[in-house]
Amino acid sequence: MQPPGADEGTAATSAGAEPPEAVDGAATDGDAATRPHLDSGAAAVSVRNLTKTYGDDVRAVDGVSFDVEPGTVVGLLGPNGAGKTTLIKSVLGLVLPDAGAVDIDGVDVYADTREAYRHVGAMLEGARNVYWRLTVRENLRFFAALGDVDPAKARERGEELLDRLDLQEKADTPVNDLSRGMKQKTALACTLSRGVPVVFLDEPTLGLDVESSLSLRRELRRLAEDESTTVVLSSHDMGVIETVCDRVVVLSEGRVVADDSVAALKALFRTQRYRVVVDGRIDDRLDARLRREYEVIRSEPVGDTTHLELAVESGRELHAALGAVLDAGHEVASVDAADPDFEEVFLRLTERDAAPVTDAPVGDDPEGGADAANGADTGVRPGSGANSGADVGADR
Amino acid sequence: MTTLTLLRAVARKQALLLVRYPLNTVSQVFGLYVFFLLLFYGGQAVGGAAFDESLGGLVVGFFLFTMAVVAYAGLSWDVTREAQWGTLEQLFMSPHGFGRVFAVKVVVNVLFSLLWGGLILGLMLLTTGRTLVVDLFTVVPLALLTLASAVGVGFVFGGLALVYKRIENVFSLVQFAFVGLIAAPLGQYPFLRWLPLAQGSSLLGRAMREGVRLWEFEPSALAVLSGTAVAYLLVGYVLFGLASRRARRLGVLGHY
Repeated sequence: MQPPGADEGTAATSAGAEPPEAVDGAATDGDAATRPHLDSGAAAVSVRNLTKTYGDDVRAVDGVSFDVEPGTVVGLLGPNGAGKTTLIKSVLGLVLPDAGAVDIDGVDVYADTREAYRHVGAMLEGARNVYWRLTVRENLRFFAALGDVDPAKARERGEELLDRLDLQEKADTPVNDLSRGMKQKTALACTLSRGVPVVFLDEPTLGLDVESSLSLRRELRRLAEDESTTVVLSSHDMGVIETVCDRVVVLSEGRVVADDSVAALKALFRTQRYRVVVDGRIDDRLDARLRREYEVIRSEPVGDTTHLELAVESGRELHAALGAVLDAGHEVASVDAADPDFEEVFLRLTERDAAPVTDAPVGDDPEGGADAANGADTGVRPGSGANSGADVGADR
Repeated sequence: MTTLTLLRAVARKQALLLVRYPLNTVSQVFGLYVFFLLLFYGGQAVGGAAFDESLGGLVVGFFLFTMAVVAYAGLSWDVTREAQWGTLEQLFMSPHGFGRVFAVKVVVNVLFSLLWGGLILGLMLLTTGRTLVVDLFTVVPLALLTLASAVGVGFVFGGLALVYKRIENVFSLVQFAFVGLIAAPLGQYPFLRWLPLAQGSSLLGRAMREGVRLWEFEPSALAVLSGTAVAYLLVGYVLFGLASRRARRLGVLGHY
């Protein structure tokens, strides 16, 4: 018996949902080999126009759309208050959105919530997601039963997870007596004990020491690569995002401002900044001219050379700046695209009044510079929220 | 079959916690027993022989009160505690369904309430030297039907806890209301039989004090008991579902 309203969907929120691909729904237990999976080509997670407003004016999620391919790790990145947690909870049906549609593994989350939960698990509050008074093994069994996994398979999978996450030694220890890292691992193991093909992890490495964080990162990659598990995680840890995620969805003020691979996003900014090594020391006149006409981030003498770092808006502007250096009688020893770290990329993407970054191509072709670096549309939207919401990243 | 697996898992978890924290468990039972002792010796001191005449009623009433509190408060507290622990949303994400998971928790709570009720009953009978008729084929069905209405109330307050969170003080007030309902004077005010616990308390008292068997009760009395049991349980369950939906709409399901 299910209470009315406990898991039913809202017809309104399903409006606009694209028909899901057929799923093989015969298997509902936790065995990875027999768990339900998508027909090839269908998205593991499909989010369309998701909107959630609290009160009259707090728009926590604003027309967000994106797809996640099966077996990939996608990071949700955004500053505090960007709407990451609300987005994750809305996708999971734990928060009912005002509008939008979500399919997980081909199942409409709002229309068939219980069925959707056969396909998705989540670690939402890290170590708090498990019973601290129970042992690790007891937690694993309980959550497997909660996920409707056959007890024999649950035991088998539980032991496998204990081995894989280095929890075997502590298997019969109450969670309360474990370190934070071990607690977090237990929570992850419990999420995985259900054997679902899609997992959501909210800040999985928060508060972990370096070793535990690295171990968790390895496990997340292994899940995607060896078990084709789809992982969607939110994190403030750029290291996690850079090393684990195949793709990043950057949120700012409830909107998607970028949706692409880490490499592509970094390349986008790299193409706009250059490190130039000039033979000889430039004089004050040239220095003043460069500063007047271009954005000079750094200019400092290093031995018999001068190291310049320039931010330019186009390849043509770079050529002009280099021309000024040559005209002053200097040789240009080298020109390298500056490689920003991902933190810098993130900050620029989420700057509230950032200029539309896609409008700053580099190269002779003023329209094609970004593509030259990335080989494709970067999917980046202006930080000021130009995401129209309808189909950002929808076709990616 | 799968619900049975869930039932086993929930019961196992509950039992593990009881065994793992024996002091907590024993102190709860002991606390109830001490409360009874205060009533018993206090009543004897004040009421004398008149109190002795109503002692059977007190024992039965306290037996029912113990079970009702465990069954009702178990559910309300479960909601609060699970939210506090950060596990409530995990329960919601079960393919069994949130309502079913909590219904299973209720079944386990009721089973445990029978256990505690039985234990307290034994202690009370030993203390008072009284004997009561405990025909399991009569007492258990009557107790279950009586507790169903308390569970219905528990669902309502569990639902309120989902939305409004810190309402523990209200939980406690409702427990006091249970005392009044168990001791409700149905002969004087027959309409009170439609309230939770009242009819069941009356029938259970007759069964245990006078030895009335289940099939010897008037069908209308049993009908009222069954009707109130189903009605309160159903209304509570529906409201719990609506409250969980409201909590999701407000985005506060996992909040505490």
